[in-house]
Amino acid sequence: MGKHPLGLFIRNVSKKYANGVQALHNVSLDIPPGMYGLLGPNGAGKSTLMRTLATLQEPDAGEIHLGDIDVVNQKEAVRQTLGYLPQEFGVYPKASAEELLDYFAVLKGLTNRAERRATTEALLRQTNLWDKRKQKLGGYSGGMKQRFGVAVALLGNPQLLIVDEPTAGLDPAERVRFLNLLSELGENSVVILSTHIVEDVAELCTRMAIINKGQILLEAQPLEAVAALKGYIWRKLTDKSALPALEQEHQIISAKLLSGRTLVHAYSPERPGNGFDAVEPDLEDVYFSTMAGCFGPTGQQQAEGQAR
Amino acid sequence: MKFRTILCFELAYQVRRPWPWLAFGILLAFNFLTTRDSALADALYEDFFVNSPFAIATTTVIGTLFWLVLAPVIAGEAGARDVATGMYPLTYTAPIRKADYLGGRFLAALLLNSLVLLAVPAGVLLAVYSPDMNAAAVAPFRPAAYLTAYAFIALPNAFVGTALQFALALRSGRPMAAYLGSLLLVFMGWFVSTFVRFVFLERLGMLLDPVGINFVVEDLAHLWTTTERKYRLLALEGNVLLNRLLWLGVGLITLALSYLRFGFAHRQERMWWWRPLRRRPAPAPAEVDSDVLRDEPIVIPLFARTFGLAFHARQALAIAGTSFRTMATSGAGLALLLVVPMLTVAIVVDQMEAMGTPLAPTTTRVLSELTAPLSAELSRWVIVPLLLIFFAGELIWRERDARLGELTDTLPGSDWAPLLGKFAGLGLMLVVFTALQMAAGMVAQLVLGYQDFEPGLYVKVLFGLQLPEYLLFALLALVVHVLVHQKYLGHLVTMLAYAFIAVLATMLDIEHHLLVYGAGPNWSYTPMQGFGASLGPWLWFKLYWTAWALLLAVGARLLWVRSREAGLVARMQMARRRLTHSTSWVAAAAVGLVLAIGGFIFYNTNVLNPYRSATETTARRAEYERRYRRYEHRPQPRLVATTLRVEIYPARLAVEVRGSYRLVNSSTYPIDSIHVATGTTGVDTRALRFDRQATLAVRDDAYGYRLYTLARPLPPGDTLQLDFEMRAAPQGFTNRGIISSVVANGSAFTSAAWFPMVGYQPSRELVGAADRRAYGLAPRPVVPSLDDPESGESAASGGGTAFEAVVGTDADQVAVAPGALRRTWTQGKRRYFHYVTSAPIGGEWAFFSAQYAVYKGQWHDVAIRIFHHPAHTAHLARTLRSVQASLDYNSRQFGAYPYRHLSIIEHPERPGSSLHAEAGMIWHGQGFPFWKPQDEERDLDQPYAVMAHEMGHQFQPCYAFAEGAPLLSESFAWYSALQVVRASRGTDQLRQLLAFMRQPYPFQPIRRGESLLQALDPYLAYRRGPFAFYALSEYIGTDRVNGALRRLIAQHNSAGAPPATTHDLYRELQAATPDSLQYLLHDLFEVNTYWNLKTERVVATPAGAGTWRVTLDVQARKRVYDHAGVETEVPTNDWVEVGVYAAAKEGHDRLSSPIYVRKHHLQSGPQRITVTVPRKPVLAGIDPRMLLIDLELGNNTVDVKP
Repeated sequence: MGKHPLGLFIRNVSKKYANGVQALHNVSLDIPPGMYGLLGPNGAGKSTLMRTLATLQEPDAGEIHLGDIDVVNQKEAVRQTLGYLPQEFGVYPKASAEELLDYFAVLKGLTNRAERRATTEALLRQTNLWDKRKQKLGGYSGGMKQRFGVAVALLGNPQLLIVDEPTAGLDPAERVRFLNLLSELGENSVVILSTHIVEDVAELCTRMAIINKGQILLEAQPLEAVAALKGYIWRKLTDKSALPALEQEHQIISAKLLSGRTLVHAYSPERPGNGFDAVEPDLEDVYFSTMAGCFGPTGQQQAEGQAR
Repeated sequence: MKFRTILCFELAYQVRRPWPWLAFGILLAFNFLTTRDSALADALYEDFFVNSPFAIATTTVIGTLFWLVLAPVIAGEAGARDVATGMYPLTYTAPIRKADYLGGRFLAALLLNSLVLLAVPAGVLLAVYSPDMNAAAVAPFRPAAYLTAYAFIALPNAFVGTALQFALALRSGRPMAAYLGSLLLVFMGWFVSTFVRFVFLERLGMLLDPVGINFVVEDLAHLWTTTERKYRLLALEGNVLLNRLLWLGVGLITLALSYLRFGFAHRQERMWWWRPLRRRPAPAPAEVDSDVLRDEPIVIPLFARTFGLAFHARQALAIAGTSFRTMATSGAGLALLLVVPMLTVAIVVDQMEAMGTPLAPTTTRVLSELTAPLSAELSRWVIVPLLLIFFAGELIWRERDARLGELTDTLPGSDWAPLLGKFAGLGLMLVVFTALQMAAGMVAQLVLGYQDFEPGLYVKVLFGLQLPEYLLFALLALVVHVLVHQKYLGHLVTMLAYAFIAVLATMLDIEHHLLVYGAGPNWSYTPMQGFGASLGPWLWFKLYWTAWALLLAVGARLLWVRSREAGLVARMQMARRRLTHSTSWVAAAAVGLVLAIGGFIFYNTNVLNPYRSATETTARRAEYERRYRRYEHRPQPRLVATTLRVEIYPARLAVEVRGSYRLVNSSTYPIDSIHVATGTTGVDTRALRFDRQATLAVRDDAYGYRLYTLARPLPPGDTLQLDFEMRAAPQGFTNRGIISSVVANGSAFTSAAWFPMVGYQPSRELVGAADRRAYGLAPRPVVPSLDDPESGESAASGGGTAFEAVVGTDADQVAVAPGALRRTWTQGKRRYFHYVTSAPIGGEWAFFSAQYAVYKGQWHDVAIRIFHHPAHTAHLARTLRSVQASLDYNSRQFGAYPYRHLSIIEHPERPGSSLHAEAGMIWHGQGFPFWKPQDEERDLDQPYAVMAHEMGHQFQPCYAFAEGAPLLSESFAWYSALQVVRASRGTDQLRQLLAFMRQPYPFQPIRRGESLLQALDPYLAYRRGPFAFYALSEYIGTDRVNGALRRLIAQHNSAGAPPATTHDLYRELQAATPDSLQYLLHDLFEVNTYWNLKTERVVATPAGAGTWRVTLDVQARKRVYDHAGVETEVPTNDWVEVGVYAAAKEGHDRLSSPIYVRKHHLQSGPQRITVTVPRKPVLAGIDPRMLLIDLELGNNTVDVKP
C-alpha cells in the first residue's frame, strides 16, 4: 500500500433523502493531504458528506476518489485506510478501554499480538487514557469517550481521517489536546474535520470549505480568506433595540452580546459611518459573511471588483 | 392530567409501530388454526363443542403462552425506550411524578397487550364461524364463554406478564429484557409447576403455574366431566381463584418493587443484579488532565497491516470471542450456562425412578432426558431455542444498540466476518452449554452412585446429534435478524419461524422434512442396537439443511446492512455489488448441494418409498373401508395352524418368510371365496397359493386386498391350506427414516404389518369420529358397547392357532419366536431355531433376533428362558423368581398354564422399562434390567410386581373386545399380581405396592365416567379395578373371588367357547358374594362409589388388667358419580373395618402390629365407636387398610391420644 499522501476528490456529489431533504447539492471539493475544515451550521449537510466519505452512505450522483480509490464503489479499499470518528457514538459499557481498543485493533487488521499491544499502548497514552485503561467504558465521561473514539480512529495509521464534530463534548483543555493530536496527524494524511465551531478551523486547518443547505458556499485557505476580507468588516457597539433599524440600513453579518450591549459586525466595501469602526476580520467574519451571502466565490469577486 | 398524557402518548406511539399489529395478526392466525384443527379433532372425538367454555379456556391458555414469547416488546418499549434511546435525561428531569410516569407507561403497555390478546377470542370466533367448520361441533354462541376466558385467564396473564416484562425492561434499560421476563413465566408454567406438581405437592404445582397449563389444560380437563366440558363455564373458584389471586399478587408486588426501586436518576450502565454484590464505589469522575499542554510528538508505531485470509479469520474470531463473552456474562447467558445445567442435575436425578422404584441412571437413560429434537414443542428443552432467539437478536443488534454501529461498519474486512463471528460466538455458547449438560448428566449419575459414564456415548449423542440441531436453528435466527433488520420485527419473525418448526407445520399439514427447516427423522439409540440404521437418514436430512443454512448465510452476507442505507432498493443494490465471484461460487455450491441432497432424499422418500402424508394415510384408510367393508361379515375360514420358515438377514436388513396357514371352515355355510389381506408397506408378498383350485378375482396391491374364488366351495368343517412367500427389506429411507425392524443386531418385528391375513381387517379402518365424519363414513364406536359385543376374535389366548416356526439368522445371533424351542442347528453361516407351541396362540406373532444371552429356568414342565443383552444381567434372578411365583399362584388359583414355554425377551428397539405380554411371551425394554429397588427385601419392588402383572395376563380370561375389557385383562392382571406379591413377598411388600398404587401418579383418579363394568379409562383399568377385586377378596375371602375368576376362565378359555364380557364376570362374582355384601359388589363394580372415611379423634384409657378402652370419633360418607359425573350422596350403611394397632416392630410399617381388626357397621355422618383391646394402642381408625376407595388419603387413621 502506498504511503504517499493522497488527495480526496469530490465531484458533483448530490444526495436527497427519502423525506425530500436535499442534503447535498452538487458538491465538488478537492481536498489535499493536511487538515481540512468543513464548516457549516447544523443541518447544512456536513454529516451527510462525512458519512458518505466514510462509506456509510451512497450519493445519488457524483464521484468520490481517494487517490485512485473509487470511494463509492471500492468501500473495502477505503475502509482499509480509513479512520472515522462519528459525531455521536456509544461504547460497550461493560468492556474496558484496553479491551475494546484491542478488539478494534484486531478488527482493523493488526493481527500480530505484540504489534497490537505496542499500538494500543501508544494510542492510550497519547489520548491520555492509559491510567484509566482498566476502567469500564460505562464509567467514562464524555471527553474520555471522545478520546477513546480518537484512539479507535487512529488505529492503523489511516490515510483518510474523518472527524465529525469532535470537539462538541470536550472541555477546553481536552479540546486543545485533541486539536494538537489532530494537527500532527494532518502532516501525512487527509484529515477532514467537520465542525460548526469556527475556532477549530481557524486554529488547525490549512484549507476549509463552508457548506450550507447542501451547497458549498466557499472553498478557501483560512488565512487568504481572512486577508481577502480585510477592509470589509466594521463593528459597532449598540443596543438591542437599535438592531432592527441597523439591519435595515446595513449588511449586518453577526450580532453578539458583549458586556450587556450588542456588538454587531457589518459587511461593507466602504466605511458605513454611523458609529461603525473598522475591525480586523477574523475567520468568524469569513464564516458569517459567507453565510450572509456577501462573501463567497461570487461575493469575493464582487468585493474585489468594488475594491478596484 | 400528566398521567393521561403519558398514557395516551405511549399508546399512540406504539399503535403506530408495526409490532402490536403483527403480534395481533400472528396471534389471530395461531388461534384460528388451533381452534380449527386441534380443537375440531378433539371436539368431535371427545364429543364436546369447539366453542364450549372449556375449549375456549384451553385455547386462551395456549394463546397467552404464545403471546408471552411473541410480544414482550410492547412492555419492553414502554419500560425501557427512554433509556435505550438516551432520551431519559429529558424525561427524567421533567416535573412529573414517578407514579404518573411509571403508571402511564405500564398502563399503556397493559392496555395494548390486553387489546393484542383480543386476538385469542377473535381467532376462536373466526374459526368457529368459518364456512368449513362442521356445524355439529358448534354450540350456540355464548358471550359468557369468551368473556370468562378473557377475564379470568387472558387478562390476569396479561397483567402478570406485562408487570414482569415491564419491571425487567425498566430495571435494565433494555427493551428485550422483557422477553426474559416472559421466559421466566413460561418456564414456571411449563416446567417448574409441573415438576413441583408431580414431585412435591399437586396443589402447590397448580398454584405455581402462572399461565394455566396446569390449572386449566391439565387439571380441569381431568376433573371436569364430559358434560361439564361441554357446558360448564369457567368460574373463579377453587384452584383457579387461588391461582389467579396469587399471580395478581405477584404482579402487584413486582410493580410495587419496580416503583420503589425506580428513581429519576442518572443510570449507571451496569447490570442491576450486581449492585448488591459489588460494593465498589462508583468510578470517580474523570480527572481533569493536569498535563494538558504536554506537547509531545505523536509516536504511534507504524506497523504494516495485512488484509489477507488470516486477517479475516482473526477478525471473525475476535468477534466470536467478544460475542461469547458478552452472552456468557449476561443474565440470559447465566441462565443457560448455570441455571439450566443445575436444574438438569435435579431433573435427571428426579427422573431416575419409575413407579416408586429407582432406575439405574445408565448413560442411555440419562441421554434420553437430555435430548429432544427442535420440533418437540412440549419438551423441557424448548428453553434452548427460546434463549437462542433472544441471543441472536442481541448479537445482531449489539453494535447498533451500543451506538457503535457507525464505527464498526466502517472497519475494513469482509461482510462475512461479523456474520460468521457472531455465529461462531453463539456456536461456542452452545458448545459450552452442551459440555455443561454432559457434565450435569454425569453429576446426576454420580449423585445416584452410578459410575459407568460412557463419555464416548455422551459426546456422540450430545455433540454429534443434539448440538447440530441447535446450531442449525441458531444460524436461522441470526439470518432472520439480518434480513428483517428491525430488532422487534426480527424477534417476531424468528419466533414465528420457531413456532412453524415446532407447531404450525404440523397444524398446516406440512409434514415432509424437506419443507420444515432443520427437520429430519429422529435418531435412536439402544444399548443392543446402537444407533441401528437411524443415523444415515438423519445425516442426509441434516446435510440438506446445512446446505440450506449455507445458502441462508450467503443471503445474510449479501443483505447485511453496513451503512445508513437500509431501504430495500439500496440493500438489493448492495447485494448485487457484493455478489463477487467467490460469493457466487459459494451460493452456487449451496444451491447445488440443496438440489443434489434434496433430490437424493426425495428419490428415497417419494420414489423408492411411497410418501404418504397423514391426510393421505387417513384417506387410504377411508378408501379401504369404502371398497371392502361390504365383505366384513362374509364367512371366512379360521386360521387353525401356522407353519413358518422365517429367514432373517441382519446384514441386509431383510427378512424372507415362507409360510403355510391351515384354514378351517368353522361356519355352517360353504365358503366360495377367500379374502386375503396383504401387507402394503415395505413388504413384497410374492406368492399366495391354495391347495385347491382358486382364481384370483380381485387384486388390489395398493390397499392390500386379494379375493380368490374357489373352484369348489369349501364345505363346513373342511380345511384349506394357504401357502405364501413374502420378503421385507427397506428400500432406501423414508421421511421417517429407515423403517426396518431388521437391523444388524437386535431385530424385532411382528406379523401384523407384513403377513397375509384372512378376511377383511377392521383394524385398517379409520377410528377417529372426526375423520370418519369428514370422509362420510358411518360413526363407529371406538370400542363396541358392552351390550353389543362383537363376536370377534379374542385378544389373547384361547381359540387361536397352532404355531410352528423355523427361524434362521446369522450364526452369532439367537432368534426367538412364539413357542418352545424344539431344536437348534447351524448350517453354513446360518443358525436355525425351531419353535413349536404346545397350545394354540393368538393371531399376532413376534420374532426377535439378536446376540442374546439366554438365562434358563424351569417351573415344573415349563421351560423359562430369559433372552437378554449379555451386558444386562441385574434383573435375571429376580425376574425368574417373579415368574415362578406367578406360575405357582396363578396356576393353582385360576387354571393351568397352557404352554410348556415362557420366553422373556429384552426388546432390542425399546430403551424404556415398559413390559408387554403375549401368549407365552413377555418382552421388556432395555431399561428394565436397570430398574431395581435399593433394598430388594424392604423397599417397594415394583419390577417384581410388574412382571407378576404380565404373568397375570398369561392366565386372564379370554375376553370379548368390548367395553369393560380392561377389567378382564389389566385389572385382573394387577389383582393377580397383588396376590402373587402377597403370597411370595409378604404383606409388608403388598402394603407398599398398594400405597404406591393409591398415589395419583401415573393414573389420576377420576370421579366421573363409566363404571368398572364398562371400564376403558386407565385409572379404572389399572387402579380402581384391582382395588375393587382386592377389597372384595378381603370382604368375602380370597378363595371366593379366585374361585369365581377360575370358573369364568374355565368357561371362556376352552376351544370354541365364546369370549367373556364383564357381564359374565359380574354374574360369577354375584354368585360368590353373600347377600349381606351384595351392596358392596354393586358399589365397587356397577356404579362409581367413593367413600369418604375419616377418623377425627381416638382416645384410649386404661380399662384395667392391662387392657385399654379405645374410643374412636369417626365420620363416614359415601358418594356415587354417574356417567356424566353428577354426584349423588347416598346413605352409608356399610361394613367398615375398625383397626387398632400397637407400636410397630423395628423396620416395619405402622400397620404391622394389629391388636384389633374387625368389621363394624357404620352409618352416615359422625359416630363414636368404642372397643377394648388387650395392649397399649398407638394408632387406630376406620378402614385402616383403605380397602374402600377413598380419595382423601391419610385421614383414615390417627395417632391415639392418651
